[in-house]
Amino acid sequence: MYEFEYQKPKTLAAAADVLKKKKDAKLMAGGMTLIPTLKLRLAKLSHVVDLAGMKDLVGIKATKAGVTIGAMTTHGAVAASAAVKKAIPALAHLADGIGDPAVRNRGTIGGSISNNDPAADYPAGLVGLGATVVTTQRKIPADKFFLGMFETALKRGEIVKAVEFPIPKRAAYMKFPNPASRYAIVGVFVAETADGVRVAVTGAGGCVFRVPEMEAALAKKFAPESVVGVSIPTDGLNEDIHASAEYRAHLVTVMAKRAVAAAIGG
Amino acid sequence: MEIKGAYRIAATREQVWAALNDPEILKKCLPGCEKLEREGDNAFTATIKTKVGPVSARFSGAVTLQDLDPPNAYRIVGEGKGGVAGFAKGGARVTLRDDAGATVLQYDAEAKVGGKLAQIGSRLILGTARKLADDFFKKFSETVAPGTAAEKVALDAEGQAS
Repeated sequence: MYEFEYQKPKTLAAAADVLKKKKDAKLMAGGMTLIPTLKLRLAKLSHVVDLAGMKDLVGIKATKAGVTIGAMTTHGAVAASAAVKKAIPALAHLADGIGDPAVRNRGTIGGSISNNDPAADYPAGLVGLGATVVTTQRKIPADKFFLGMFETALKRGEIVKAVEFPIPKRAAYMKFPNPASRYAIVGVFVAETADGVRVAVTGAGGCVFRVPEMEAALAKKFAPESVVGVSIPTDGLNEDIHASAEYRAHLVTVMAKRAVAAAIGG
Repeated sequence: MEIKGAYRIAATREQVWAALNDPEILKKCLPGCEKLEREGDNAFTATIKTKVGPVSARFSGAVTLQDLDPPNAYRIVGEGKGGVAGFAKGGARVTLRDDAGATVLQYDAEAKVGGKLAQIGSRLILGTARKLADDFFKKFSETVAPGTAAEKVALDAEGQAS
């Protein structure tokens, strides 16, 4: 690890101020990506701005219309929340499948979506449910939040405060995890919402994306067989030692099918 | 790992060729390039800072131009060391073709990464390489033909620009 200055500001305004003034400063939420990167000396920062201790950012609020999750709420807390399990069980299931217990105990929803790893689970949940990201400056719909690999609509000094999830009629998330890291080789979130059916895919490409052909087929008939005939093109899909682009494309259809079956079943 | 792509640039083949051999233009278009200096006729030294998500690394190394066939094609080859982060090397075969007053630039690139970067980032390398290649050729198109937007050309099943 290279030397850096550790700061733990009391307010979001103070945190944003450090980010604006120091070019090589970075925010830390749970630190589940940042700390290993620093330990390996793959990044050199001047300041680490820790959001831990900002109690306003932690917590889950459920109403009839939706569930709001504070940015610093851990995956473990979301997975165990009775309110989330009741309102959006698919979201609790998603959080329960992230990494391992240690990661779920430290990692946060705000950190995960701000990092926007191409294989992270939460981006599929946000896009699949049509969630809204609440930042210190504005509200951003999930469809406009995730821009590309590790790229989001966040501006420098803009900090995620919470995520608002509308409650779907039914939904499910299915992923094919890497057996070691539990990152999604492919993960598919399917939801039947008030605004129609949404299918969001993570892990397969550089960034979470929707599959309009599957959404249209499921809108006609919400059944597993509706997605079987829909295959996605391999253009732009990830390819690595774990899975080829063709295999990932195949997995998208398989996971979508399983997610639809799970949504109907539960 | 291989990355292919093509761009249609609103300039003549000679103009595009000249730009491909101009270190100032290359420096401007290479994402994160801090230094690109001519060492010999077709050799350069370069320093490039890349940033991918949480990772940032600075690579220093050599860039050479090979198999020159003006104004039709060349190979650009680079190799750099990024300190503890590891090393990266790669090359791209660039070919130019006239297309109704404009030029179609096609590239076939391959990249290799080793060391810690490869160890923890293997699943991210293809996506990163694709993005860097796209960023470079997009900016290159816009620099060579100012005022026009980069126009990507689709490749057919044989990997040729149609």
